Amino acid sequence: MNASANALQATFGNAIGRVIDARGETIVYVSPAKVRDVLLWLKHTAGQDYNYLVDVTAVEYRDRERPLEVVWNLRSLSTRQDLRIKVELDPRGELAVPSVVDLWAGANWLEREVYDMFGVTFTGHPDLRRILMWETYAEGYPLRKDFPLRGRFSRSEQVRQALNVNPEGHYSMEELAIADAYDELPRDMRDRLARGERDKIPNSE
Amino acid sequence: MLQPYIPFLILLAFVIVNAAGMLVLSHFVGPRRPTPVKLAPYESGMPPLGSAHQRFSVKFYLVAMLFIVFDIETVFLIPWATIFFGSGATGGPGMGFLLIEMLVFLVILFVGYIYVWKRGAFQWD
Amino acid sequence: MKHLQTVDGSDSWLTTKAQSLFEWVIKTTRLDKAVNLSRANSLWPMPFGTACCAIEFMATAASRFDLARFGMERQAFSPRQSDVLICAGRLPFKLAPVIRRIYDQMPQPKWVISMGACASTGGIFDNYAMVQGIDTVVPVDVYVPGCPPRPEGLLYGILMLHKKIKGEDLFDSSLRDEQLLNDKGLRLAPEQIDEISEPFGNSVHQFRSA
Repeated sequence: MNASANALQATFGNAIGRVIDARGETIVYVSPAKVRDVLLWLKHTAGQDYNYLVDVTAVEYRDRERPLEVVWNLRSLSTRQDLRIKVELDPRGELAVPSVVDLWAGANWLEREVYDMFGVTFTGHPDLRRILMWETYAEGYPLRKDFPLRGRFSRSEQVRQALNVNPEGHYSMEELAIADAYDELPRDMRDRLARGERDKIPNSE
Repeated sequence: MLQPYIPFLILLAFVIVNAAGMLVLSHFVGPRRPTPVKLAPYESGMPPLGSAHQRFSVKFYLVAMLFIVFDIETVFLIPWATIFFGSGATGGPGMGFLLIEMLVFLVILFVGYIYVWKRGAFQWD
Repeated sequence: MKHLQTVDGSDSWLTTKAQSLFEWVIKTTRLDKAVNLSRANSLWPMPFGTACCAIEFMATAASRFDLARFGMERQAFSPRQSDVLICAGRLPFKLAPVIRRIYDQMPQPKWVISMGACASTGGIFDNYAMVQGIDTVVPVDVYVPGCPPRPEGLLYGILMLHKKIKGEDLFDSSLRDEQLLNDKGLRLAPEQIDEISEPFGNSVHQFRSA
């Protein structure tokens, strides 16, 4: 059992839910309202020093009665301790947790992945957009349990959408803005961006 | 007098005929099916963004030019070296004279080297 | 022989006669076979390696199985200088327009080898992210099954492609026509794509949702 668990319970009291010691790993459940304060405390407090965010991920269980959990895996490199912080959300409700990008810069892409796969919004994230699927993916959030294995559109529709995506859909808005600043954007891309048609797939009914 | 060069000239003629023949033959036998996507620049399968003509720093030109100059100097040293030890044998200029001549040449280029050095052309950044 | 056409665009009697004479000469002297032989034995591959099959492709190109002895001396990583596109590995939907563009940018004559189960049918990845067979995106000449195919398997597929090329008619210009996407932006009809992407084998039992 990680000593941080006791320290957390002493400091935050009611915000800490159950503490589980599973196979040598410590898991601490935190209430969603206080999770950012908990993570900040864990990073900045002298004895804790969890300076390495190993992963941010989410779990939705097959048993639909169980809540959707967002998981932060932390590691303290100086004290060589691991800790797992979990937050329980209602899978049918609104999925939003605070972002920790300002605490650990690596959280940027990790949170984007959780957003892409589960639809969890990270409030305060500087650039929350899809990372694994393409930015204009319209079928939903793939790792949710109510998302069918093969996607919501038919295979021919998926192929059609993949092949017909606009050229500017391949680039992020940042790259397009840089190209625009150097006047390197082709005219048709510029016109389509001005009309806000980056997401539109041509040949759609 | 030109006897040893004949095989080389035959080879040269063969190479030219071969290469030209390949180009000409592929022009006539090769299928030609241009499409707009095919003629677009290759950018690893992505639609190309921006022009391929990027401006780049002038220091590349400087380095290339300096290299050429000092490389030509080295090139002049080599044939000189082949006749240096045999000089004076058949009544031509002696080794001392050849040495002085080459040193004058090197000193002139050395002065240029110092100038380029002091002007900072060897500083990359 | 385009420059010998008559005013209304059709070939005159003389040019058709000249063409058929030319064709007869080439075929009798087997020069067309020579052209096919040179095309087959000097295929420069464009290795479009995405996953594990790419490793097997590298193994095939290495010394023990040596692709170079079959003419694939130079792995052309630019489509401009390649003859055959070898798609080795699974293809996500995100990568589909990329392979289509690379295929379009290859000059004729060009062929495609789909290496491995994922490139041929989607393999074990029958899900929301993977193209179920690159033949929904680019026209394929030879499919090489396997996960990954052994180097001998890939060599067998390449030799099969050699056989196909050697059997081609040099004067059939429709073989060298570009196979573009239709006006809906697809290569096949939607029903065909759905049919060839249908799950089969163990995938039939995997449909879990909700």
